[in-house]
Amino acid sequence: MDRNQITKWLKAPAKMANKYSLHAIYFCTGCGIIEVPPVITSRWDAERFGIIPVATPRQANLFLITGYVSVKTLRAIIRTYEQMLEPKYAIGFGSCPINGGMYWDSYNTIKHLDKYIPIDGWIAGCMPRPEAIFIAVTHLWTLIDKEMANGYIRYRENYKSYRRNQEMALGKLEWPPLFPVSDESQGNEQ
Amino acid sequence: MNKSLKEKLEATFKDIRTASSEDSRMAVSAESDNVLALLRFLKDAGFNHLSLLSAVDWIEDDCFELCFILTSYMQNDDEVTGRQRLHIILKTRIPREKPQFKTVIGIFPNAEPYEREIHELFGIKFEGHPRLIPLLLEREYEIPPFRKDFDTRKYVQEAFEKIPFVDDKDK
Repeated sequence: MDRNQITKWLKAPAKMANKYSLHAIYFCTGCGIIEVPPVITSRWDAERFGIIPVATPRQANLFLITGYVSVKTLRAIIRTYEQMLEPKYAIGFGSCPINGGMYWDSYNTIKHLDKYIPIDGWIAGCMPRPEAIFIAVTHLWTLIDKEMANGYIRYRENYKSYRRNQEMALGKLEWPPLFPVSDESQGNEQ
Repeated sequence: MNKSLKEKLEATFKDIRTASSEDSRMAVSAESDNVLALLRFLKDAGFNHLSLLSAVDWIEDDCFELCFILTSYMQNDDEVTGRQRLHIILKTRIPREKPQFKTVIGIFPNAEPYEREIHELFGIKFEGHPRLIPLLLEREYEIPPFRKDFDTRKYVQEAFEKIPFVDDKDK
């Protein structure tokens, strides 16, 4: 353990423990997922950074969206994101989730992913190297320290707008709202 | 085999044109009425695998082109016979105003998803297909999206760019 961090551990032990044990949901989107198997296995070994892939969103708190998002995948992404435990962090990986990338004029690809779910950080590139994932993770640690990785809080506060955008893209959603939509007092509870 | 098949084809069917750019490839262009008979003929000749059915939109010629790519796993296998495997590309054109064709499921059952895909992306109707329901697409489009007159940029403007960013202020 780093001696410099002892004060941090004493101040907020839960946050520090949470920060060093990120559980990434193994969700494959587009071409970027090809970088993830070497990252989590022995070549780059993501467990050095405390990242381990898990099978179900209900055990995960890190969501890597690895590539272009078609309209159909967006539905699965929203459902997965809503099932994850708080605090949860979403990272867009590659240029396609940022602004469409090479699919900027495609008829069936979502252009800006942060219109539909909150994103805590982006990894630019097409494709980003596996090392970029670790750089992103260390940046995420800094953000968690400064309490700037607040995507799940923004999602709760602006759920009405996110839900509206999701309905604009997907039509009527077949699952109920995660947070109360009509209630004006939402967002005050957190 | 290659040459004799070509001769056989030209003897059996009128109005077909064959061309081969490489030894392992032969392109056959035929009228749309002949296609089912040609496919049956080729299947009997050993080409028992439809590896792809796709469509091309020739908007300047005002027609769609259907491409059937046939090959064989057993008889023309290069490991068995020592010859290069032959791919046959069977092309036919259908008018753009009346995008209809007969289904080939009776001959090659694996054409079913290909025909659904073409129906969805090009709007070509296959008569006799048991279930022409959407295969991949989630949304409804006025013009099928793979046609050349589908304006992708205008569509993106209307469908995706109109959705506003979520601002922290509008709660």
